[in-house]
Amino acid sequence: MQNCADKLGFEFDNSAEKLVGSLEYMLEHIAGNLPARADAEDILFKSKVIITELLTNGIKHAGNSNTWFEIEIYPDCLVIRKNDKGTPLYLVDPDHLPKVADENKKLISADMLNSLYAIWESENHIRFASEEGSFDEVLPVEQVMEHFGILIITCSSDEFTYTYDRLSHTNTFRVQLLF
Amino acid sequence: MITVSNEGPKFVIADVTITEANLSNSDQFKAELVSLLDQHKKIIILDLQELKYVDSAFLGALVSALKYAISLKLDIVLVGLRNDIRDLIKLIRLDKVFKIYNYAEEAQFAVNKF
Repeated sequence: MQNCADKLGFEFDNSAEKLVGSLEYMLEHIAGNLPARADAEDILFKSKVIITELLTNGIKHAGNSNTWFEIEIYPDCLVIRKNDKGTPLYLVDPDHLPKVADENKKLISADMLNSLYAIWESENHIRFASEEGSFDEVLPVEQVMEHFGILIITCSSDEFTYTYDRLSHTNTFRVQLLF
Repeated sequence: MITVSNEGPKFVIADVTITEANLSNSDQFKAELVSLLDQHKKIIILDLQELKYVDSAFLGALVSALKYAISLKLDIVLVGLRNDIRDLIKLIRLDKVFKIYNYAEEAQFAVNKF
């Protein structure tokens, strides 16, 4: 990653009424600062769905804690980071350290369309990955999952990670899009 | 949030009248869609042309309503999607479970052949 060319900080109060305004504010900033080499249409589409899901996650899980966004634009990539002190992701038990050595890749949801994995890269750091599923011509719709937030971000990004800081009780989602 | 604009022997055309479909209204959206299925017992052609913003909660509600429709041996067909919403649906491969058409007329033609 090269030196950061542009950085925006944005505080979100987790109110659903401000979701679209907050999304548009961050997208406008990204659109105005993308380098010429970036495929603007592609990056803006992905940024829109990623930021929407991160805002929705804040509304659902951040509680009374405000959510802090950072948008960093580098010559070769875009980084979107979301921090809050709300409820940790369900994959992390805040009171017990995970036994990373026992199981460092876990299937967290799957249907015939997609499989979503969490990969523990350290005790408090998870990377997400997805794989397309295979299915016959007729797909039994009753088996299709109904929770898509993490999957949407994983499918849209080049790298998507979650880190829980046990000392400061801070959740950090970090998404990277390569140009 | 959803209004019926046309009805045929096999289908109901239902227009989504909101521009933002997200966590704050996804439960109500699903409830209205389920109510339409119960009331009309026909395939729903759902016109989404007014929608500009959707999130995962809306897509979850849509899939949940589709499961209910299939359990009644009916269907929910999507029309009028903006390009970015169609791309989002394709991104997580929901285009494999929903029938999607550009316009309501195309969907009516297809539904009448079912």
